[in-house]
Amino acid sequence: MWDIMKTIREINQKIKDGDAVVVTAAEMTAIVRENGAKQAAEEIDVVTTGTFGAMCSSGAFLNFGHSDPPIKMSRTYLNGVEAYSGLAAVDAYLGATQPNRNPDIGLEYGGSHVIEDLIRGNEIELVAEAYGTDCYPLTEIKTQITLESINEAVMVNPRNCYQNYSSATNSTDETLYTYMGTLLPNMGNVSYSSAGELSPLLNDPYFQTIGTGSRIFLCGAQGYIIGEGTQFATEVERKNGVPVSTAGTLMLKGNMKEMHSDYVRGATMPKYGSTLYVGAGIPIPILNEELAQQTAISDEEITCRIVDYGVPRRSKPIVREANYHELKSGVIELNGEEVPTSPLSSQKKALEIALKLKEWIDKGEFLLTVPVEKLPNKGRTVKPLEIQKPRILVKDLKGETLILAHPTDAISEVARKMVQNSINHLPVVDEGNKLLGIVTSWDVANAVAHGKNKLTDVMTKKVIIAREEEPVDVIARRIDKNKISGLPVIDSDNRVKGMVTAEDISRLIGGD
Amino acid sequence: MKAWLTFSPSIVNKAIISNLVKNYDITFNILRADITPKGGKMLIEISGTQQKQAVEFMEKEGIHLNPINKVVKKDEEKCIDCGACISLCPVEAIKPAEDWTVEVDDLKCIGCSFCTNSCPTRAIRVME
Ligand code: SF4
Ligand code: SF4
Repeated sequence: MWDIMKTIREINQKIKDGDAVVVTAAEMTAIVRENGAKQAAEEIDVVTTGTFGAMCSSGAFLNFGHSDPPIKMSRTYLNGVEAYSGLAAVDAYLGATQPNRNPDIGLEYGGSHVIEDLIRGNEIELVAEAYGTDCYPLTEIKTQITLESINEAVMVNPRNCYQNYSSATNSTDETLYTYMGTLLPNMGNVSYSSAGELSPLLNDPYFQTIGTGSRIFLCGAQGYIIGEGTQFATEVERKNGVPVSTAGTLMLKGNMKEMHSDYVRGATMPKYGSTLYVGAGIPIPILNEELAQQTAISDEEITCRIVDYGVPRRSKPIVREANYHELKSGVIELNGEEVPTSPLSSQKKALEIALKLKEWIDKGEFLLTVPVEKLPNKGRTVKPLEIQKPRILVKDLKGETLILAHPTDAISEVARKMVQNSINHLPVVDEGNKLLGIVTSWDVANAVAHGKNKLTDVMTKKVIIAREEEPVDVIARRIDKNKISGLPVIDSDNRVKGMVTAEDISRLIGGD
Repeated sequence: MKAWLTFSPSIVNKAIISNLVKNYDITFNILRADITPKGGKMLIEISGTQQKQAVEFMEKEGIHLNPINKVVKKDEEKCIDCGACISLCPVEAIKPAEDWTVEVDDLKCIGCSFCTNSCPTRAIRVME
């Protein structure tokens, strides 16, 4: 349909001659707006993109070299972070999210931090254990390595550069710590993670120029796309030609010895885990008018869903849709309130990367590649993982007779109910069985000690609840997190249906 | 200066603040307030030439003053300008510049440490 106006070979010749016209994806938006796609396609040869975001599915293959006597490492630790060693004797794969084996350090220094330290040239302590064989007699080793001293350090990231990604907010009344950062209660903030119009896969949404073998910018080095990333999807809802949610992903490879710490960082999402900030940039050759049009996409034209992380399920409720122009403005309206936004991925570095890649091409240091194979652009969906064991919901728990208290009850009456039924919590409800609070045996004892006799003065009004439709595992985590021993079960009309206690849950989990 | 004011129930209804502004010609900014019939706490920023007299007046009226000497500092080498901290700041002390460099305004900061606890690279710190 679209006439090919240039080939990659022709563009490469221009790059070698110093004649190629290279612009960033942000500049391209303005150029096409002004001159139209046809003229832009004639004038512009390459559009550079960039992103610098937290990409958990990242890591590195390391080859340490052979010691004398040799060792077949079966467990390896780098500055206390385990690398997977179920490979040949001195090969290992260090994953970005691996926590430190020292529980006092834990998430604060994980795989991603080791990767950054290696790239910075810092010394790393290597501890290896082995079972010992005739050809590999050593069973233990402890030494220092650096990036320079080891044979290879190849970053291979199974899933980077999500084409688009939903923003996050939190409807619950407690702060949540997630891979989308800290989410304040009552939809107090929104975090988004895409670089929007600069993002690589949003600029070639049908992968016409990108594929296996494409040379790219990876963490300051020239790296490669080695195929589609994991969890790759094409059959998704699109607006203006680009997906409104997660879709395409990339598997990337690069030589860590050529990388620079300006474009790759170890990080820790508080109370979530360590993750690697990866800088990636992809050049899009403008072969025809359609590619000129696609690379001209603006933040306004890219839709992003805002979803509620207050629901810890696979599919989270969509609060609203927004575009990146709105998200990047710093505030967004949610249910009539102005809510501040955070980018989470560095917009500044994304642009720096697009500019760096442009500079390389301008100087003739970077040539474009014809992919060996293009990424699939249809027929791919992401499969869920079904859990064989049926999921037990709160409503499936066998309820005992419901014992309730009312605000007008005398403390002595409440105490009697508790003792008689040997229970420690009593939900306090109104006439319609709607929850008003909760009273524990401790509250009652406290009331007696202080001569209080109004139930409403001693009960806790802010109650942590379980909903009937929630899986029991989610409740187990809630009980654990809040250090409580039980919580009332509420139906969709906020009526109390029963109590679920830590014992109920441990009985259930211990019983299978 | 920035300070926490703590006051008892007996003075909640007195017109101290209006007198303060009227008599000492100071600018008075309430950054945070938590006032109940049982008394309260308020985070304020005051400026003006008669600051010292104003503070003395408040202490005389039974308001306890606790100056804040905390400052927020960002390690520019460690910071990756991700912006995770921006939406967490309750007083909008953290803002991106035109080029998306994340900037903190020390004067606005109330030392709550929300940003510190949520920074993925531990680049931002609150210090006394
Ligand atoms: S969260 Fe930390 S790294 Fe990110 S912008 Fe703020 S100070 Fe910088
Ligand atoms: S310490 Fe609190 S007030 Fe100060 S910059 Fe950080 S979040 Fe804002």
